[in-house]
Amino acid sequence: MRKIFLSLFLVLALVVSSFAGGTIKIGVQAPITGKFASEGQGIDNAVRLWVEQVNAKGGLLGKKIEVITCDDEGTAVKAAICARELVNKGVIAVIGSYTSTATEAAQATYFRAGVLQTSDGTSDTLVKHGYWTFFRNSSPNSAEGKFTADFFMNFKKYKRIATISDYSTFSVDLEKAVVDNTKKLGGNVVYRGKVKSGDQNFTPILTKIKSYNPDVIYFSGYYTDGGLIRAQMVQLGIKADFVGGDSNDNKEFIKLAGSAATGAYIINVPLPEYLPYDIAKKFLADYRAKYHEDPPSIWTLFNVDGLRAILHAIEVLKTTDTKKIADYLHNELKDFPGITGPITWDKRGERITSAYMAYEIQPNGEYKIVYPTK
Amino acid sequence: MEIFFQQLINGLTIGSIYALVALGYTMVYGVMKLINFAHGDLVALSAYIGLVVMMQLTGASVPNYIVIPIVFIITAIVIAIIGVILERIAYRPLRSAPRLSAVVSALGAGMVIQNGIMLIWGPRPKIYPADVVPNIYWNIGGVSLGLMQLIILVLSLVLMVVLYLFVNKTKIGTAIRASAIDQLAAKLMGINVNKIIVLIFIIGSSLGSVGGLFIGMYYKGIYFNMGWIYGLNAFVAAIIGGIGNIPGAMLGGMLLGLFNAFIAGYVSSTWADAFTYILLIIILIFRPTGILGERVAEKV
Repeated sequence: MRKIFLSLFLVLALVVSSFAGGTIKIGVQAPITGKFASEGQGIDNAVRLWVEQVNAKGGLLGKKIEVITCDDEGTAVKAAICARELVNKGVIAVIGSYTSTATEAAQATYFRAGVLQTSDGTSDTLVKHGYWTFFRNSSPNSAEGKFTADFFMNFKKYKRIATISDYSTFSVDLEKAVVDNTKKLGGNVVYRGKVKSGDQNFTPILTKIKSYNPDVIYFSGYYTDGGLIRAQMVQLGIKADFVGGDSNDNKEFIKLAGSAATGAYIINVPLPEYLPYDIAKKFLADYRAKYHEDPPSIWTLFNVDGLRAILHAIEVLKTTDTKKIADYLHNELKDFPGITGPITWDKRGERITSAYMAYEIQPNGEYKIVYPTK
Repeated sequence: MEIFFQQLINGLTIGSIYALVALGYTMVYGVMKLINFAHGDLVALSAYIGLVVMMQLTGASVPNYIVIPIVFIITAIVIAIIGVILERIAYRPLRSAPRLSAVVSALGAGMVIQNGIMLIWGPRPKIYPADVVPNIYWNIGGVSLGLMQLIILVLSLVLMVVLYLFVNKTKIGTAIRASAIDQLAAKLMGINVNKIIVLIFIIGSSLGSVGGLFIGMYYKGIYFNMGWIYGLNAFVAAIIGGIGNIPGAMLGGMLLGLFNAFIAGYVSSTWADAFTYILLIIILIFRPTGILGERVAEKV
């Protein structure tokens, strides 16, 4: 009897809690200030733009959506505080964060509170915890590592490979994935090094790498360092190619590297303008119209796609029960048309649909897809 | 051997920048016994102001070899004014307060400048135009030396020699040194210590602004929070050389740059920063006053 009462009470509580609030609360956890501020502000802008559009059409389940933003500054400490804050404010889902470090620091809190989280974080550790609340919305490092190794060995046929990462979880994991996969294909990694992000002066490590006489220098960190590494490589007279991981895919890379940008390779999932999806074109146009600039990077769009998938699930299921939404996203959502391409998640919350491309930067700053060859 | 000479050039280039910034720390400390933690952010600000001035001037049909000196002069003047304002607002009211108050005030002022930069210019990195200084490199036996590197090395050296002569051979220089030894006694001898302190901020800030412009022109990308990294390194350089000691700051900056380059080149770039602090600790243990610190005490 007590059990029945208890379950009745729980059901009632659930019903009350899901209908009591006039809004559906969605959290944004992103680095609004600090080193990754432009990326974080892009995520916040994009989420707010999409929610505005949904609200203009009457909202979801007859309710308006409310966005609550928390600035995690890209650090683990602030991320943990943000997670607590957003949970306390009663969000059902959180979009973000941008960095794997901040995402990982907040994951457990959302899991315990049953709050959904989607992030563009690419570190492989993110999906290893087995949290049913977590959905990784970009492609995993392991997939990028495999693609990059393939590009090195089967397309460019490099004989001597040097790699550099920074100290972030993301960059370290990606570099490791690239090296592991390259070695699997019989590649010869002659040097592996680390730089401190934001150092600006990379000539000491590059001078050292020069003595190893590599065919290519691969960098798995962020464009703010990548652009400078490329510029200083050329200045030091290093003849090797430069291949940058996905986070070098930013227009500022070209400005930082200057004329040295020409000929640099960057590996990433396809850019929105290369996607045949109307929704991508429309969203980019709306974003430009509202904020008078392009989204800072593709990562902004991954995060919006996470939001869109969750809102889609709420609409289909007619509930904001996060357990049910998670089940739906894990098992039933197949090839949901995303801004960044079709979205499907596996049981671990790993996005399994994405295609990488290698771009070569042209003298006019345009990208040219060089691999896969068509 | 190629690698050795390349690292030597790498180290001296960054070392010159550290030295220019370290001079600001050391001169303020010398006279006021205050670590001006806002100095690094002032350096970052100068990189931004320099970029603005440059963008204004390059539009006109003036050749770059005229534009660049003007950029340096205008930026130095603007930053010197900001430095003086900083002293007036953040430090002068606290001059007789416990020293910790002034340090907190300095940290706060640094944060205000840093966030001010972010508010005005945004959080994304700003990038110096690629063609300000012609992209010329000389390759001497496999060792690469750029025109910009040469400018940094020569101009830093000239500025440091001028400063050294100014402080040691002129009357005002003597007044500065007297104020550094004992402010009260200096006052009794008829030295206007307030004016000396203003002068110190003018000199320190303008030297820092040259460092900031070098960072922008050589490394291209500037960030609103880069003042912290350069400030910290320059601060360590000042301590290594003996804080309060002008030749010490120059030596400390150069040594730190070289040390960083050689550790990164021959040991591990991963550990370059750790070794910087190990060096700092060793120097603090065996020569707590820094490498040239004691000589000042003897002069006293």
